[in-house]
Amino acid sequence: MSYQEKRTFFSIVTGILILVAYITYVVQKYQAGNLLAEDVKFWAGVILVFIGIGIAVNIVGQIVFHVLLAIQIAIKKKIENNDASDQAIEKSINHEMITDEMDDLIELKAMRLGFVISGIGFVTGLFMLVFDYSVVMMLHVVFIAFSLGSVCEGFLQLYYYRKGVQ
Amino acid sequence: MAKKLNITNNIRTLRFFANEMTQQELAEKVGASRQTIVAVEAGKYFPSLELAFRIALAFGVKIQEVFDCEAEGDK
Repeated sequence: MSYQEKRTFFSIVTGILILVAYITYVVQKYQAGNLLAEDVKFWAGVILVFIGIGIAVNIVGQIVFHVLLAIQIAIKKKIENNDASDQAIEKSINHEMITDEMDDLIELKAMRLGFVISGIGFVTGLFMLVFDYSVVMMLHVVFIAFSLGSVCEGFLQLYYYRKGVQ
Repeated sequence: MAKKLNITNNIRTLRFFANEMTQQELAEKVGASRQTIVAVEAGKYFPSLELAFRIALAFGVKIQEVFDCEAEGDK
């Protein structure tokens, strides 16, 4: 698995974790019959918190991932050549973590799918309002669609890395 | 309607004649990732004109010697 695939896989895992955590939280609130369940202000706050958690987890996770990967590459390089200088190790780390035009193209193509899924979620949310569902339900649908869009984006990236992109 | 182009490349052969240059070495020379070189070599990704020229320069040959194409249905 290449660096790009590992990075994408990590994003997918964090995306799924956030999505599962949010759905679990929502289901628990509804099952508890909590009065807050239909409070728009409350859910807007919850969604903002989850967005914040998502960003924080992603940033911290990416830092940890890159540090661990750099250590792994350095160890591998040392095993291959015990006399390898720090500069040589740094160079191989930089080369391993390089992103180029193919990564950009894959990201753009995958992002398109993410936008489509998010868009469908938003339109579905609007339809739900038209058909007298609560605003809270619309918020859930929109948030889940955005998160799902992000996860699907990751899967499509993995697909393109494996199958190639034209 | 324009015919579909079948683009092929000789990167594997050129690497062989360049003293068995590895994909990693080529990637470092052209400033791309190894994954990209693997994809280009396997015909899974068609590089930009810039990268195509960089690859040709890395082997010291003209771009036509690295990439070739023919319209589908020709031959």
